[in-house]
Amino acid sequence: MERILQQDSTALEALYDRYGRPVYSLVLRIAQNPASAEEIVQDIFLQLWRSADRFQISRGPLEPWLFTMARNRALDFLRLKREKQRRREDSDTDVIVPSAVVRPDPEGDIDQSRRAEKIRALLTSLPEAQRHAIELAFFEGLTHSEIAEATGEPLGTVKSWIRGGLLKLRESLGEASS
Amino acid sequence: MTCEQLAALYEEYALGVLEGEERAEMDAHLARPGDQCIHGVAEARWMVAQLSHAAPAAEPPAALRGKIMNAVKQTAAKETPVVSPIEKAKPEPKIGPQRAAFPMWAWAAAAALALITGYTVRQMNTQNTQLAELRKQMKLAALQNQTLQNQLDMNRMVAMVMTSPDSMPVKLMPKDTKMPMVHAYLHPHMGMAITADQMPTMPSARTLQLWIVPKDGKPVSVAIFHPDSAGEIALVAPVTVPKNEIAALAVTDEPAGGSPQPTTPIAWMAAVN
Repeated sequence: MERILQQDSTALEALYDRYGRPVYSLVLRIAQNPASAEEIVQDIFLQLWRSADRFQISRGPLEPWLFTMARNRALDFLRLKREKQRRREDSDTDVIVPSAVVRPDPEGDIDQSRRAEKIRALLTSLPEAQRHAIELAFFEGLTHSEIAEATGEPLGTVKSWIRGGLLKLRESLGEASS
Repeated sequence: MTCEQLAALYEEYALGVLEGEERAEMDAHLARPGDQCIHGVAEARWMVAQLSHAAPAAEPPAALRGKIMNAVKQTAAKETPVVSPIEKAKPEPKIGPQRAAFPMWAWAAAAALALITGYTVRQMNTQNTQLAELRKQMKLAALQNQTLQNQLDMNRMVAMVMTSPDSMPVKLMPKDTKMPMVHAYLHPHMGMAITADQMPTMPSARTLQLWIVPKDGKPVSVAIFHPDSAGEIALVAPVTVPKNEIAALAVTDEPAGGSPQPTTPIAWMAAVN
């Protein structure tokens, strides 16, 4: 980040090589449209280039900062799209991609890939309904009551699913970092 | 609601599922400087961000990297200061044969016009100078404001890491006994806070550099820093080496901009674990 702050574009290239795939994967999962995902990712890295000083201020690890920014951007896009759909009241013409291209495990960042495996394993271990509720919250940006409406489950059930899932996530990551 | 009552909701807030009263309560707590919830939510955000790894792995288009780098180059080109246009010299008045029968009133009118024009041009120049000065002052004020805001944000981050029960305090002892101690606080997720006071002033061509000395391998640079005019240091730097692999922390005096590896003897040091 120091090098990016000094406008060293090779540092941004290195950062893209490391985080481009996970960030793109996240954005594509939320936006569900490759062309839009590409635009959002481009925007995120440009934002990083322009606002490196803001990251310097907040410091802390870069990865969660980058993921949080990517998730927020992609959810903003999704909400805007939903709002447009609501207004148009007709079907959306965007191509929906049901699933992304699965690629082999990346070389390099072992920690990142180990943590990714841990998160995936944790989600897989959850009962399907609980996992679905967490995915609706994280990837679709839905609130408790919106998830209850989408799944047809009582609000209390949804709350306890999410709370329980997050607790397991906390425990799992706590074990990983200790 | 108290911070203790809200603690159970930090992750849900970070995930964005909270609504209504609970969300409003949390927003209100986060708006209060120094509130305990700020730290709790910061940690919860880190945790929730890890869910990003659950997205199915996808390969970005091969051209995306090039597009980003091209856009960066364009941005850089736009931001390159453009040389101010040089004001072209006014053309020399054409000296030619004068009309002999130019009436006196016309001379008077021309003189008056020249005087008015001269006065107006002078006024405009003065106003332009004043305007440029005002702009300069506004820019300076904005910069000072931003610097203060940055310092405030940084101090807030330092306080969060220092007060976290998960942080491990480490005292870096100076090799020169006249020097003050440097304090480091290692947090598993938020990085490392570094504080010190009564530090001596340093020439601008030199900087202090903090290193993590891993159990295996070469020292890893964590941060470069300079004591402020009051001799204080307060910053938070990201840590890329897992805590259990850190053998020691060390500070060296390096040329401005830092060095890839230490080039001078260790000035402060502490063993970790």
